[in-house]
Amino acid sequence: MSAFHFEGLVWHWPIAIYLFLAGLSAGAVFFAIMLKHFKLYHEAWHSPFVQAAAIIAPVAVFGGLGILVFDLTRPLDFWKILVFYNTTSVMSMGVLVLMAYQVVLFAWIACIFQRRISQLLGKRLPIVQRLLNWLVLQEAAITGILVILAISLGAYTGFLLSALIGFPLLNNPVLPLLFLISGLSSGAAATLLGGVLLRGNPNGVEVRFIHGIEIPLILVEIGLLFTFFVGLILSGGQSQVAALNALGFGFWGWIFWAGVVGMGLTLPLAFNLWMKVSADRKFAYVAVTASFSLLGVFLLRNFILYTGQMTGT
Amino acid sequence: MQVSKRQFLKGVGALLTGVSVYGATRTLQADSLLQPEPESETKYAMVHDENACIGCNACVQACREVNHIPEGVTRVKIERKGPFGEYPNQSYRFSRVSCQHCEAAPCVRVCPTGAAYIDKETGIVAVNSDRCVGCQYCIAACPYQVRYIHPETRTADKCDFCQKSRLAQGLLPTCVEACPTKALTFGNLKDPESDLVKLLKAKPSYRAKVDLGTRPKLFHIQTIDGEIML
Repeated sequence: MSAFHFEGLVWHWPIAIYLFLAGLSAGAVFFAIMLKHFKLYHEAWHSPFVQAAAIIAPVAVFGGLGILVFDLTRPLDFWKILVFYNTTSVMSMGVLVLMAYQVVLFAWIACIFQRRISQLLGKRLPIVQRLLNWLVLQEAAITGILVILAISLGAYTGFLLSALIGFPLLNNPVLPLLFLISGLSSGAAATLLGGVLLRGNPNGVEVRFIHGIEIPLILVEIGLLFTFFVGLILSGGQSQVAALNALGFGFWGWIFWAGVVGMGLTLPLAFNLWMKVSADRKFAYVAVTASFSLLGVFLLRNFILYTGQMTGT
Repeated sequence: MQVSKRQFLKGVGALLTGVSVYGATRTLQADSLLQPEPESETKYAMVHDENACIGCNACVQACREVNHIPEGVTRVKIERKGPFGEYPNQSYRFSRVSCQHCEAAPCVRVCPTGAAYIDKETGIVAVNSDRCVGCQYCIAACPYQVRYIHPETRTADKCDFCQKSRLAQGLLPTCVEACPTKALTFGNLKDPESDLVKLLKAKPSYRAKVDLGTRPKLFHIQTIDGEIML
């Protein structure tokens, strides 16, 4: 059986990229909000890390949706998804979440950079100025809703797959949590990488804060992965077949053990712990750790999508 | 009124949870329990007698012609297992793979636009290709893997018991008529006098993957030939 072409395969790698980007966007927003709320307060708009998140989040979600639309067999009919809804469909509800998420995301970005935008505008466009001032007054509500929407979006990418009852590896209650947590950690990694690329201080308060959250996040992700596969194996039947098939010595087994577990979880965890005890963080440390983490989450999405569709009930 | 951020977050969180739980529980059981309008008198189903089937694929060919199905895809497949036994006393087992017209159809549940639907009049699981955008969620969700993208319309397609091609003219599905050994029986589950119900009451039948809760309406009568398989 070839790793990328086999009978029963319906969703290919573009879907994995979409799942990755949607989770990454949600994670970047989540960490930008945490940074502002707990560390930076009104200085958030200076921070290259918050700026990076404010660029990454919309670009990732637009990129993901673009890939999704082009992956339809009738891309020009995509508007029908926006017009017709089905409350029992995870995808349909996810589209609602995505739409709301994008609106609130831009409102939040406008709040954060209100001073900067106002400076740039000067005396022009008084309507925009008034809108910005009104948005800033609503910032607490916007932030709260955005946190909820970001978490919903991260979990949605998992529910989308776990609704497929014919595939025991996908139809698994741990999957949405696993995707949520790994999506958050990819968002943290993207924020760090973007921040240091925008000449943020690799030893700054933002990096220390995000790393502080990332370590427990990676530990939780390891626990979830463990529960995911042990749960499948203990379920017996086709669930067990699916789990052992995925973790075995094939192409995807290597991707899982070397890519996801080794590069995506163990190395970033080790680097993070090392950086925590060593005196200061350097650009290369932060960038390499974040890149490993990102690549690991990307491989995890592909691994789950492909191995999930290999074994039916 | 002063509402703190914490209270606000709690409120919105509770609301979202409530809405999603409500949506999730509404799906499978609730639909069959709380049907407001009187149910239709027709619920079509099919029986495939694997003892009679000789694997000639006449049904597949007839379906291809009548429903204009291009090469490379098909609405119905006859899967062959075997041979069992030693030559010359060999036998095969044949089983039909096609849309099961589930009462709780996973494809209908996941379709984001409502293009996949259950026809209330007949119980047939059908596709409204004008609404289909080709996300292929239904194809992935179907545990029987009988859906495909039609190469010409670029929309999801599958067996509809010839609803559009022959039922409308009062004819039987073409596979039923084409079968030389009368292995296929089509009829109304709600009519106790129908050949279908009589056959189901006379012979033990099975349905595929009932443990998934899909309640399929394609029945199979298991072959007596061949060896016992574990």
